[in-house]
Amino acid sequence: MIGKILETVGPWGPVLFGFGFLAPLIAQIIERADVAMPFGLTPLMLGLIMGPALGLAAKLRGRWI
Amino acid sequence: MNMSNINAADLSAMSDRELARAELEIARKYYNRFSVFMLVWGFGNLACWLALWPLTLMGVIPLWLAFPIATLNVILCYLPSHEAQHSNFARSGEPLRWLNELIGYVSTIPMVLPFKVARLTHMEHHSHTNDPALDPDYWVKADSWHQHLWQGLKNRQPGHSHPYAETMKRLGDEPFVKKALLEGAIQTLSFWAILTALAWSGHAIEAALLWWLPRHIGTSYISLMLSWAPHFPNPERGRYRNTRYFTFPLGNIIALGMEHHIIHHMHPGIPLNWNAAAYRDLKPILDARGCRDEAFQPSNLSTVQA
Repeated sequence: MIGKILETVGPWGPVLFGFGFLAPLIAQIIERADVAMPFGLTPLMLGLIMGPALGLAAKLRGRWI
Repeated sequence: MNMSNINAADLSAMSDRELARAELEIARKYYNRFSVFMLVWGFGNLACWLALWPLTLMGVIPLWLAFPIATLNVILCYLPSHEAQHSNFARSGEPLRWLNELIGYVSTIPMVLPFKVARLTHMEHHSHTNDPALDPDYWVKADSWHQHLWQGLKNRQPGHSHPYAETMKRLGDEPFVKKALLEGAIQTLSFWAILTALAWSGHAIEAALLWWLPRHIGTSYISLMLSWAPHFPNPERGRYRNTRYFTFPLGNIIALGMEHHIIHHMHPGIPLNWNAAAYRDLKPILDARGCRDEAFQPSNLSTVQA
């Protein structure tokens, strides 16, 4: 069963990583750096835009770097 | 045969079988030794890394200090497990077998390396060292250390199949392979679940600097020192030429003890902390066998015989 889960979820790993880890990481870095946010966004909103977007780009390109 | 007063001329006159017997006689002195050093290393290193979490989260240690310590912990976590992969703490059926397996499983938690997968792929490495098709560590081949690091990064990209995964596929669907894969999947999923939970509970930066980033840096360093440097430039196969002795400019400790990697390949049952002594004892035989004794150089173009 775990094998089937991994086969299904695996290809979406970068997007999940972007949502699950990068999004809060970006938000907390912005909070600690005390950076002013544009367009009334909160740090978490920006994280939730950037994290999954970076993950999706990595999935489509097949690489992060 | 007394090997203490034997000279090069005596060795050159020996037959292949006599040399093998002399080699085994010396190597036996170092076999079946329980390495308390490697045991303390494994558990001590894990305890240090685990302690970083509460100490950092409670503000006792600043994150800028915890980060390099965590990276060092990841770098140091593999070798005790490596001893366990070779059953050097206790073989199957021996009373301390549980301890051997325990250290194999827990010491690599910081680098998230599943023990059984590591053991299976490492045995394949020993069986097929430098075979382009069958050695799971053959991918480390690169003309320079920085090319190797780049290759390692490429292996970890989402669109790239890791050579260890390919090896596990090749090993088939035997029950022990399936069990190793299941354990590996559970460990890896647990890592990502813990990382996500930490991140969403407000500790993303701590998770990144105590685990995620140290894991990447540590894995790269381990691969560089344990695979690339000892086997560089990976052209030859065979017991006496598939790896080498090399002198590392920053010393054997920084090289994680890998200067004497040839001893490990010839006699994996000798614990790491006795490889240097075994090397010194075996040196005349290694020379008679034409083993590689080289100075570490950072690229393929400048490898020199010592």
